[in-house]
Amino acid sequence: MTDKSNDPIAVWQKMVGEMEKGFNSFANQAMSSPEFSQAVNRAGGVAAGAQKQLGELMEKYLVSMNLPSREQVIGLAERLQSIEGQIGEIKSMLSQMAASSGVSQGSDAALRPPRTKRPPSEGGEQT
Amino acid sequence: MNAPAGLDFAGIPERIQSEVQRAIQRSIKGVEYFSTSGPTLGSTPKDVLHSRGTMSLYHYRPMSDEIYRIPILIVMATTNRGYILDLVPGQSFIEFLLKRGYDVYMLDWSAPRPEEKSLRMEDYVLDFIPDCIRRVQQDSGEQDVSVIGYCFGGVLSLLYGSIHKDGPMKNLICFTTPIDFREMKLFSNFSDRRYFDVDRLVDSVGNVPPEMILSSFEMLRPASRAASQIQLWENIWNDEFVKSYRMFDRWATDTLPLAGEYFRTITKDLMWDNKLFNDTMSVGGRAAKLEDIKVPFLHAVAEHDHIVPYEAAKHLIAKIGSEDKEEVMLKGGHVSLVAGANAVKRLWPKLDSWLGKRST
Repeated sequence: MTDKSNDPIAVWQKMVGEMEKGFNSFANQAMSSPEFSQAVNRAGGVAAGAQKQLGELMEKYLVSMNLPSREQVIGLAERLQSIEGQIGEIKSMLSQMAASSGVSQGSDAALRPPRTKRPPSEGGEQT
Repeated sequence: MNAPAGLDFAGIPERIQSEVQRAIQRSIKGVEYFSTSGPTLGSTPKDVLHSRGTMSLYHYRPMSDEIYRIPILIVMATTNRGYILDLVPGQSFIEFLLKRGYDVYMLDWSAPRPEEKSLRMEDYVLDFIPDCIRRVQQDSGEQDVSVIGYCFGGVLSLLYGSIHKDGPMKNLICFTTPIDFREMKLFSNFSDRRYFDVDRLVDSVGNVPPEMILSSFEMLRPASRAASQIQLWENIWNDEFVKSYRMFDRWATDTLPLAGEYFRTITKDLMWDNKLFNDTMSVGGRAAKLEDIKVPFLHAVAEHDHIVPYEAAKHLIAKIGSEDKEEVMLKGGHVSLVAGANAVKRLWPKLDSWLGKRST
């Protein structure tokens, strides 16, 4: 096997690594300037404004096509979410009732290991 | 003709043969790479205890014959998915904890829905976390709960712990958690209040899109994505390298949007006014001072963390009010601290030895 310092592949890999570090460092310096922040945020502000306008335009288009608007879909999603939440609550209440009445739920609840574990130094065990 | 100094002519045929073999392997494996979906992540058996909008609470099924009395609640960062802590068997922090006898729950996040744009910091700190703690208590039958917060999950856990100073949090562990946001230099510059109109952004887009979050992370090391793709091509013959690359790449690009109001508070209170560091932070009108946290505390930081530089995290240990507190700095970066081969050798055993004796 050739020595890594003489291996052209290893030299190439090292060079890529060094270039990455150098470029990152250079870019980080450039990005630390207030001018960079100003330019990026100006571009970001324009993009956000354009996105908002496009969204409003699409909304009008969907309404004209007799398709459900975003608001209506969100309304449906909210109702579904509320139903999901209520099912979760009912499931949780049923689990509690089953636990308090001693009924086995057939899940892992009845099979949970005891909470008796001690750290290795105290119990002398090695896991 | 003489050979240039140091050049090993005898090894050249062997090297050429090896490179030709690798080139063939690259072609075969390259086709495989694009036709397969990569390893399944987050597969440790678990039950969803509760789910509400962006929030999900999981309970992982125990893997040892007896478990520690105090359960653990892991609070994941709101920008990323929790499966970074449960990659694949043998490289899963969750699996490690379960095998060491911990009872593990995780508060994980999914993308906030458009109607959740109005979620505020109060919802996360005074509703989601306390709700999960209550459910962990109920499910485990134990009053005490240890909390582990990763990155911004650590910030949320600190806010929760400083407000709920009378319990039931028994131990607090933070991984790479920033408190001095001035020291997150590039993020600080990106969100410079003179140029960054956070109100305009949030009012325009609602939830902050994941592409924006991802590009702000990638801008911290702009050449690294291209360099990692070169590395992938060079190592595509190596199944282990490709598996690891796919796991981390998938997770890193699986960034979540942030709820608009929540992002507004992070920008104004933390990035601009540095309130957590200055002891002026409040959530829902309730003061959140780090000195009010008195429970045993461990802070793990990474030596080469480019997302949360040490300067942004180093004052946490001094500001915490606990008497039993420790900071540990380990080799690695923001992600390799908690996941992957380095974490298996470094952070996980350290955490186990610290937490085990505080979990009985």
